[in-house]
Amino acid sequence: MAPTENDIAIVGFAQLPPERRTNLTESDLVLRSTREVIAQVGIDKSEIGFTVSGSCDYLSGQGFSFVQNTDAYGMVPAINESHVEMDGAFAMYEAYVRLLQGDIDIAMAVGVGKNSNSDPSTLFTVEFDPYYLTPLGTDTWTLAALQARALIDSGKATERDFAEVVARNRANAKSNPFAQVKGDYSVDELLAADYVRNPLRRHDLPPTTDQAAAVILARGKRAYDLCERPAWITGIDHRIEAHLPTVRKDITTSVSTRLAAEAAGVGKGPIDVAEIHAPFSFQELILRESLGLDASTEVNPSGGALAAHSVMTVGLIRVGEAANQIIKNGKNRTLAHTTSGPCLQQNLVCVMEGDQ
Amino acid sequence: MADTVQEFVFNLTFPFTRTLGSTLSTFSSALAQGQIIGVRTGGRVIAPPLEYDPDTAADSGTDWVRVGPKGTVSTWTWVPEPTNLHPLDHAFGFAFITLDGADTPMLHLVDTGSESAMAAGMRVEAKLKAPADRVGRIDDIIAFVPAADPSPSEGAGEPFVAPEENDITEMDAYCDLQYVDNASPTTIMWAKALMEGRIIGQKCPQCDRTIVGPRGMCSVCAIELDESHIVEVPGRGVVSNFTIVTPTPYPGQTETEPFARCSILLDGADAVIAQQEILDVPVSEIRVGIHVEVVWAPENERSAADIDNRSRGSGGDIIVGWRTTGEPDEPAARYLDRMM
Repeated sequence: MAPTENDIAIVGFAQLPPERRTNLTESDLVLRSTREVIAQVGIDKSEIGFTVSGSCDYLSGQGFSFVQNTDAYGMVPAINESHVEMDGAFAMYEAYVRLLQGDIDIAMAVGVGKNSNSDPSTLFTVEFDPYYLTPLGTDTWTLAALQARALIDSGKATERDFAEVVARNRANAKSNPFAQVKGDYSVDELLAADYVRNPLRRHDLPPTTDQAAAVILARGKRAYDLCERPAWITGIDHRIEAHLPTVRKDITTSVSTRLAAEAAGVGKGPIDVAEIHAPFSFQELILRESLGLDASTEVNPSGGALAAHSVMTVGLIRVGEAANQIIKNGKNRTLAHTTSGPCLQQNLVCVMEGDQ
Repeated sequence: MADTVQEFVFNLTFPFTRTLGSTLSTFSSALAQGQIIGVRTGGRVIAPPLEYDPDTAADSGTDWVRVGPKGTVSTWTWVPEPTNLHPLDHAFGFAFITLDGADTPMLHLVDTGSESAMAAGMRVEAKLKAPADRVGRIDDIIAFVPAADPSPSEGAGEPFVAPEENDITEMDAYCDLQYVDNASPTTIMWAKALMEGRIIGQKCPQCDRTIVGPRGMCSVCAIELDESHIVEVPGRGVVSNFTIVTPTPYPGQTETEPFARCSILLDGADAVIAQQEILDVPVSEIRVGIHVEVVWAPENERSAADIDNRSRGSGGDIIVGWRTTGEPDEPAARYLDRMM
């Protein structure tokens, strides 16, 4: 495709190796990931017109951590900068919108999460509805398990299906140098494990990961200076449902994902590869259906979120992996998805295409 | 180094009070009286009530409905090992429970004693705290337990008449989280030097700025700095900025009188160290330009316990504070318009 000045592409992607426990700070991680992506596209940092990050103070336990993290950008002279208390994929969306204004050509989006400082079994309780959920100690595993049980009771899937998702993602992750959890596992072996939250076992839950990632986006023809085959964003949309899963009509499907996929034009052509952010194994089944993907789409060749799950980074990595399928791997049309909130409350879908 | 702490445990604990608004005030006030209610909106009864209809965003109104105390479990899970945030200290279930008279479920605990007793379709009933212990919060319902009599709840679905004024309009809440951070290589270098009575920074090979304490990076050039960039700076410098803090009482605040916190530009450094205390100058006489020198704690009293990744440039318990040297002040204008 011949890009117009309003076409925006992912032109570079860098991720740090995922670690269960890093001894670096979030600022250190931001520095290393941004330096790598800037070097990769061969620009000077002064050429970046807008920088935006996604991170969360509650994860690392440090107030205003995103302010300290900006040290890593080298903000002298002052730069144009923003932050979302969400995954870096949503920061990428802000960068995309910022580029649409047409006055700058290059933007950088970063995701960083030092997740190992906090306890995932209690941390997310403070982000839920403070009146009806937090006083009960409602935890993210419980909410996922309630959704999983509803999916089983609907007849759409079984615990064996969940384990098959895990086995496939872990096997896929073997060829991903940036996977934390990988290997060959038999479904029967997985099903022999105890429940953490019936019907979910440890392997159905996301791993705890410290990681950072960064992408560079470019507008119009400028993209070709930075990348031979840019991953043009041809559709992107973010939809949100009610926070309380109890008032959603059917938690065995994802209405917001379906709407976002339609708005992003997923169905306008075949999707070669989809990188889906399913923190819990069974959610991949819900998301595949709601995205409208058929068997021709390869799902999560990276191993997906079950291979590494740094909250605030994992969604941006889906974007980067899907972009790299175009930039490096010759694919023509790919999809990246990320989710946030209890039981797939929010969903972002991004469709990318390469020049043919 | 044995004296350098490598891992820090800290608790993020704070209380706060939330105002409830009219809908949740009505729910809370009724619950404290032992009555669970929902609201009829958009042709369905939502329980517990929401201020808006999640489908249309319309105001839910005040068509209150009595619901429960019995209900039916739809989806459920089991918590084999409760955390400190869960209300029960033994294994229990969580479930969506559609209360009699309601069309949407409530998420709550189900206390059955065993996972095998949990099932979709089971009839349960609310077990409330004693009236004197109720505060109108959702955990006034201790848990749901298997219903002794599965028949429909009496009065469920009937209108609830709210009082003119609600008894309860606020809710106490709290945050109680524990974090375990580990010292970064840069933090360890800083703490180790302080324990030895040395103040260090890192000199950027690109811009030649010396940043004290070390940050592991040059925050101007955005490049990594490591042990090879360490330089020692003298424990002497000039106050470059200050603020006077008038303490307000809050949990954890130990100060009662106004106190000053100063930025100090150490000789040979290009970035200040912030939040420092001057020991021998009254708060009213703190000013930019004073020459100060470091006051170390005696070696046997030094502890690196307070020096973590969050307190960059802080001397913890190792630097007691700073005292004046008696040299004439530097002109304050020299320290204007610094960005660090």
